[in-house]
Amino acid sequence: MSSKGLSGGIYKPLSPESIETLHDASLTLLEDTGITYESGLEETVAMLASAGARVDSGGSRIRFPRELVLEQAAKAPSQVILYARDGKNDLDLTEDKVHLGTGGAAVKILDLETGEQRSSTLKDLYEIGRLVDGLNHIHFFLRPCIPTDIPESEYDVNMFYACLKATGKHVMSGVNDEVGLEKIVEMASMLAGGEEELRQKPFISAITSFSISPLKLCTQSTKIMQACNRRGIPVALSAAPMSGSTSPMTMAGTLAQLHAEQLAGITICQLTQPGAPLLYGGIPGMANMATMGYRGGGVECGMMNAAIHQLAAHIHVPNYNSAGLSDAKLPDAQAGWEKAMTVLLGAMGGSNYMHHSAGMLESMLTVAHEQYVIDDEIIGMACKVLRGIDVDAEHLALDIIDTVGPAGNFMMSPHTMKYMRSEYFQGNGVTDSKSRHQWEQGGSLDTRERARGIARKILQTPEKSYIPEAIDQKIRQKFNILL
Amino acid sequence: MTIQEIYNAVLAFDEVTVTAKTQAEIDAGTAVDTILNDGLISAMDEVGEKFSAGDLFVPEMLMAAQAMKAGLELLKPLLSGETARSKGTIVIGTVKGDLHDIGKNLVAMMMEGAGFEVVDLGVDVETDAFVTTAAEKGADVIALSALLTTTMPAMESTIKAVKEAGMSTKTIIGGAPVTQAFADQIGADGYSADAPGAVEAVRRLIA
Repeated sequence: MSSKGLSGGIYKPLSPESIETLHDASLTLLEDTGITYESGLEETVAMLASAGARVDSGGSRIRFPRELVLEQAAKAPSQVILYARDGKNDLDLTEDKVHLGTGGAAVKILDLETGEQRSSTLKDLYEIGRLVDGLNHIHFFLRPCIPTDIPESEYDVNMFYACLKATGKHVMSGVNDEVGLEKIVEMASMLAGGEEELRQKPFISAITSFSISPLKLCTQSTKIMQACNRRGIPVALSAAPMSGSTSPMTMAGTLAQLHAEQLAGITICQLTQPGAPLLYGGIPGMANMATMGYRGGGVECGMMNAAIHQLAAHIHVPNYNSAGLSDAKLPDAQAGWEKAMTVLLGAMGGSNYMHHSAGMLESMLTVAHEQYVIDDEIIGMACKVLRGIDVDAEHLALDIIDTVGPAGNFMMSPHTMKYMRSEYFQGNGVTDSKSRHQWEQGGSLDTRERARGIARKILQTPEKSYIPEAIDQKIRQKFNILL
Repeated sequence: MTIQEIYNAVLAFDEVTVTAKTQAEIDAGTAVDTILNDGLISAMDEVGEKFSAGDLFVPEMLMAAQAMKAGLELLKPLLSGETARSKGTIVIGTVKGDLHDIGKNLVAMMMEGAGFEVVDLGVDVETDAFVTTAAEKGADVIALSALLTTTMPAMESTIKAVKEAGMSTKTIIGGAPVTQAFADQIGADGYSADAPGAVEAVRRLIA
């Protein structure tokens, strides 16, 4: 049973008054404090100035009248559909509809056979894609690790190629530069049958980290973001401040600053191309105050990411954010509780596109095959919560209770047969509920070993390329494919 | 082909088809042993394997057993005395002080599904009842069930009574708190963690 697209919106950390207060605070920040930028964005700044933004004489600060921001934010679509090529995993991003998938840019992987940490490769990216393709509750494939074994100049094309070959689910990735974007659009258009076909049904999308928190535009990413806007490629406006280092120590302060950054980004996109499909991309996080690194696994990550969905929903824009990070180094108990907390809170909150939700360890540094299997189970269970409890005549089963009668049992009732595989969550097999005797007979495997077994089984199935042979040949003639 | 259809119908929990196809085979003059062993019993063996592997749930195993039993009822009048007795007789019950019967019923159904003659004494069964019934029926195996840790000692006293009566009847035990170690400790001849395993244990003891 598909777990994607169920409605959250049942966990709301912000009251309606708090949403208004935060939204107003963000507009005030953009009006009074404004944002800054680096050289190379002159055209973008000129576009903002002509729309009514105030650029100070020193040329380093842009302040946004709130009317401008509200007017542009209203142009952003309230629904974005990210397509899949497998015919079953299109993502309808709107309102409180929940989707969870992979994410990150890890440079390390726990080797499936040795269990030891090593650098991630292009082949790892491809294999993880195949694994995710075989896991039902991971709804999309956002490039989760970096191919450290190939030159950086070859990243863009090869990362997208590996992802698109491995899975039919929606593929998203960051892009290094505008040239890389051109190549990727060309490659994806070959698969789509033309650029217009790709624009109609975008099965790829881009992450553009346009904002360097606090309140500064990144030149390169802003340019890529605008290039995507012009081409109709959906973009996620990724911005990830950490409370205590790149945003205030407090949750409210972090949310206010981040919402301001998002409003600025959305204004740029909509001025560039009115109606451009985009995802509000606020990812509120926390700094680890002991190291100043990223603290992924805190329960407040779940709280703040649910809150940021409320702020995105307030301006009627679907949102991209984060769930399922953990600071654990192994797929251990800590990884389990940290992931379960933020994934469940995120799903109950209603975030539309939660990346990082599968496979990641050590905050965003490491991935592990077995962790994808475990997280598929966590996501499936979290989404099951969104189905709620059906209370109708069929589910009340009064006639069944009457038929069985006092002191009978329900084991062989047709009603039992009808509902026993659908009323309760059926996992991928990683959850152990056997008797001790059976568990011992199966080798007394712990969670990690069971998950590795399932991962191996999926990877041992015959490879199925999602790139047809004829197109594959053309792509290889055109681009330097290293897989 | 119809034997295979009987086999498939048991795996599909389809009592109506099992009945119809079994009757068709009988009418066609197929050997009763062939229908029983290749159609019904081997199908239940696969059901047991699927259950042990976690692919089937308890209700599905019960439905399969019920479908199998419908076919068995048609065969019973036709079984020669030797065939009817050859598989063996089991006396089964939940021990004194324990009222739980789901697990015991499962085992009883699987035993019947495997072709054994099963005498089910129910729950809260006195030690003497196991001994006298087993003697009367000439049982090959006494199967004892307990769910409560507090009733596990009743298993030990029952096994002791069987031995003191000088009977050659074997004993097997099972139930949630029961382990192989406990079975060894109290001198039971067999143990199983689940119903299909109990069938296997009995087959080993009787062979």
